[in-house]
Amino acid sequence: MTVGVEHYVLLSMALFAIGLFGILTRRNALMFLMSVELMLNAANINLIAFAFYHGNLSGQVFALFTMALAAAEVAVGLGIILLLYRNFRDVDVTVPTTMRW
Amino acid sequence: MELFELPAWTALAPALLLALTAMALFIIDSIAPDSRNSGLLAGTTAAGSIVSLGVAVWYLLAGVGTPTVDGGRGVIDVLGDQFVVDQLALFFMIIVAVVTALVAVASYDYMEDHTYQAEYYSLVLLAATGMSFMAAANSLVTIFIALELASLPSYALVSILKDNRGSVEGGLKYFLIGALSSAIFVYGISLVYGATGHLQLTNIAEVVEAGDADPYGGLLGLGILMLIGGFAFKTASVPFHFWAPEAYEGAPAPIAAFLSSASKAAGFVIAFRVFTEAFPVGETASAIGVDWTLAFIILAIVTMTLGNFAAATQNNVKRMLAYSSIGHAGYALIGLAGISAGGGELVMGAAMMHLFVYGFMNTGAFLFVALAEYWGVGRTFEDYNGLGRRAPVACFALAIFMFSLAGIPPLGGFWSKYFLFTGALEAGLLVVAAALVVNSALSLYYYTRLVKAVWIEEPVTERDALSQPIGLYAAIVVAAVMTLALLPLFGPVADTAVDAATAMLA
Repeated sequence: MTVGVEHYVLLSMALFAIGLFGILTRRNALMFLMSVELMLNAANINLIAFAFYHGNLSGQVFALFTMALAAAEVAVGLGIILLLYRNFRDVDVTVPTTMRW
Repeated sequence: MELFELPAWTALAPALLLALTAMALFIIDSIAPDSRNSGLLAGTTAAGSIVSLGVAVWYLLAGVGTPTVDGGRGVIDVLGDQFVVDQLALFFMIIVAVVTALVAVASYDYMEDHTYQAEYYSLVLLAATGMSFMAAANSLVTIFIALELASLPSYALVSILKDNRGSVEGGLKYFLIGALSSAIFVYGISLVYGATGHLQLTNIAEVVEAGDADPYGGLLGLGILMLIGGFAFKTASVPFHFWAPEAYEGAPAPIAAFLSSASKAAGFVIAFRVFTEAFPVGETASAIGVDWTLAFIILAIVTMTLGNFAAATQNNVKRMLAYSSIGHAGYALIGLAGISAGGGELVMGAAMMHLFVYGFMNTGAFLFVALAEYWGVGRTFEDYNGLGRRAPVACFALAIFMFSLAGIPPLGGFWSKYFLFTGALEAGLLVVAAALVVNSALSLYYYTRLVKAVWIEEPVTERDALSQPIGLYAAIVVAAVMTLALLPLFGPVADTAVDAATAMLA
């Protein structure tokens, strides 16, 4: 049995769903960040599999860009989580509720 | 033929100048890291954005983006079509540059005591660079990178008041929802790439038009849906709107002005470009089985209704403005909802006009909140009572912003809403047009409530004379003057917007 592009898409969709589930259920900001990484990497799997499928390289190159952007996003995110810990003594995303809608 | 022809990459000069100014601020900061010379820093920021504004206006007047048959210079593409500079791009570059300049001038007073001045201004400029590039980005790659360049500094800017719990909370919520929506957005890009094999908008359109994407209709449809999620976040529309009240309320008020005006406009420009260029209405509908305008019709109605109803129940002025900005995103979404296979120039142009007027009136309104925070009068409507007697100039400007936001004739906000209304009727969207009218009527309630508090109500406590911070006052007065100047100037703005929309839909 050969591994077709549909298997990669299934893998990436599963990864995306796991990440989304993590975001919806986890309260720890760091776990939230990790779940977002899973979702971004799901997109990377797709991009690379489709690049192979279509026989052009733009998807693969874009995956590299996505990784760099994900790293930048984590850097900013960790800075904000650090501030969260300093101000609220916790990294639970449900703790900061000074504002309510 | 001109004697002196600029190379093609200089077409991006409005965005590049913003980036260059950010670099200049880094240099100033590395020469004098302990200096808190806010005049120099705010001045450099304002100067850089005004030069960027000037260049964008000059390009527009020189005919960049106007079709060559009409005596213009045509659309200029840069880096192998990754960026295009057309009327749409220049129009939104102007909005971004204007808002950046106003915010920089206002921040001179507002951020006076802040420890990290240079960081603040360079982050503002980097975010503005991202927004400016968003206006010109023409492939899903550059769109995503420019979007992140605009988003990442914004997260940091919202939480820049490091010891203020509200600021950190707002920044956290903005970041969490932003990270989630950018993950959804990039997944949507990967699905569109999978269905079409291209990332460049024009190539995607070719594949869709040739019907080659039809076998992958489901994949393409899901991808488009996820792209809409990304745009909804950036424009603060339903379903990714709930960061906006928190982030705007917690952020320093000039940053709230920046995000709600420039960032929203930038979100709309990529939505306009992607949906008009990459997914032509008729052919995409035959591939995915449903018109994508349907999604925008629903989003427009839900967003404007939710924003206005929530705004009407607020007691906190900044939060009211935040929800009103969600409502205005709903109005601008009509511009996408009204696009059809053969038309939509008027309604899309009207949405662009609305975002242009909004850039002045909403920035001005948030800067008034910044002024109130600078005075320390408090945050609720009652706290604003009787400010008109102490600060008549600023409060007069506030009345102009509020009436323009509500869409009272003959102010600019009325004309853009009027064109949105006629455009929606022309496109046959009776429900959307009705929702626009009902919501505008409702919005009159909470906008006049603020004007009434400021001018008519008696102050709850006697207050001393209020200071007149020069930067904030200058920014508010300029925004008010521009809101008024748009009465005689509305014709050219409307013409440019409709021309740009026509060029996009052609």
